[in-house]
Amino acid sequence: MKNGKNTVLELRGIVKRYGSLTAVKDVSLSVAPGEKVVIIGPSGSGKSTLLRSVNMLERIDEGHILFEGRDVGYVTRKGKRVPDCQKNICRLRSEIGMVFQHFYLFPHMSVLGNVMEGPVTVKGMDKVAARELACLMLEKVGLSDKRDVFPATLSGGQKQRVAIARALAMQPKMMLFDEPTSALDPELVGEVFDTIRALAREGMTMIIVTHQMGFAREIADRVIFMENGVFVDSGKPGDFFGTCQENERISAFLSRCL
Amino acid sequence: MVMGDLVEAAERLAVIAPPSEGGELAPFVRSRMQMARIFHALKDYEKAMAACREILDPYPQNVEAANFLRSLERERLPAYRVFIKDAWLFLPSLIQGAMMTLTLVVVTMLVSPLGGLLIALGRISRIPPLSGLCWFIIWFFRGTPLLLQLFFIYYGLPSLGITLKPLTAALLGLGINYSAYLAEIIRGGIESIDHGQMEAAKAIGMTYGQAMRRVIIPQTYKRLIPPVGNEFIALIKDTALVSTIAMVELMRAADQMFNAYFNVNVLILAACIYLLFTTVFTFCFETLERRVGVYEKR
Repeated sequence: MKNGKNTVLELRGIVKRYGSLTAVKDVSLSVAPGEKVVIIGPSGSGKSTLLRSVNMLERIDEGHILFEGRDVGYVTRKGKRVPDCQKNICRLRSEIGMVFQHFYLFPHMSVLGNVMEGPVTVKGMDKVAARELACLMLEKVGLSDKRDVFPATLSGGQKQRVAIARALAMQPKMMLFDEPTSALDPELVGEVFDTIRALAREGMTMIIVTHQMGFAREIADRVIFMENGVFVDSGKPGDFFGTCQENERISAFLSRCL
Repeated sequence: MVMGDLVEAAERLAVIAPPSEGGELAPFVRSRMQMARIFHALKDYEKAMAACREILDPYPQNVEAANFLRSLERERLPAYRVFIKDAWLFLPSLIQGAMMTLTLVVVTMLVSPLGGLLIALGRISRIPPLSGLCWFIIWFFRGTPLLLQLFFIYYGLPSLGITLKPLTAALLGLGINYSAYLAEIIRGGIESIDHGQMEAAKAIGMTYGQAMRRVIIPQTYKRLIPPVGNEFIALIKDTALVSTIAMVELMRAADQMFNAYFNVNVLILAACIYLLFTTVFTFCFETLERRVGVYEKR
């Protein structure tokens, strides 16, 4: 295992159960600064659950999450694993940006309001500074002209870019993308990928769950194939997509996706 | 008796002259009252009223003549004029009562959404004693009549050493009862918001409280206005129940005057005031509904 210095995030033996179903089975992963990890796999394989466990939107049953070397999120009390105090969890979440498949923009706030919300409410930033920051983030995702409209007027691709700007406004140390283009019309996928690509060039650490193999191959430093709650295979995209033909299940999955 | 007999009787009565100074009053008053009744029966209002005035000129304090004269005047007037006259008579007290009704409504409208929100938040919280308590409050206050609750607060609590003024008791009863009703509406509103909104709020680092205050609750406003408006319309009418605990509000004021005058116009006027209130509030809620949540329109 790498030491804390060249690891942003380390997952050790993560287990997540839903009743009798074990969605994630003893998964370990460490992510280096600036690394782009792409997780692929069939639906129900535990990819999203794993991703959501990272910032504790799911409560894990076993294992440890180390963020920048700090063991975070859970404490053991009376032999039961319970989430850490709210303050610590919120601090962790504010340092990890997350983008959802269905965007979940706040519909009652303007685009600018959405992006400003985190800095103002969570960080207590004053509104003038937050506005400036939010404008900068919107510029980054190419939506400066949309800052005063409500999300309902945007296309899916625009909504997702606003969601990315909203996450970036918290100036996170890493980003999680949970199928960011799965809810989009095919012609809108490109603009979201462009945005993620630009972010990748800036050196942002990312974990991306996606079904878009072309994008995975292009952006990933490492591709992980997950099925039935375990990592079946992983590797550099070149090697992975080259050698995966040896693994019957992966090749079957890929042939369905491509 | 035929008409001719009546006229003859009246003529005979007219012979009785007003008493001179110190003379006996009663026979004259009796004769003129009888004359008035006879002419009233003959539908000769002018003469009937003249007979009453003959009594009232020298003896203006005579109540019987004064009342009869007033009822004669009323009968001669067209119906709408009678109504207007009654309105003049009854409205001052009715408006006074209506002001009390309005006070009860407005205070309850300000207090119960807050109470309802707190109970709703308690009910959906994951702290078992709190959610249990809030469940109990809703169960109890929705499950028993408001009238019973008011009786208990005003007449029952003194036996436990708590004596409340009627207004305090009325506001307490209405406030808790409506908080319990609104709590369930608000809970439904909160639970109708996509769970992803809470997750998105948490994902940028918000606490549960921040997410509720900034993201979830503001989105419920538009959905809550129609059902809450409905409850408030019911509230306007439910305030009539506090007339049973010594509160003089619109219903009680109308009831008192109806018992004094047996005049149905009192009830019609009271109904008009209630309708005015419900109409104004309905209009306000409709306007509010249009203003809030413009963000949902494309």
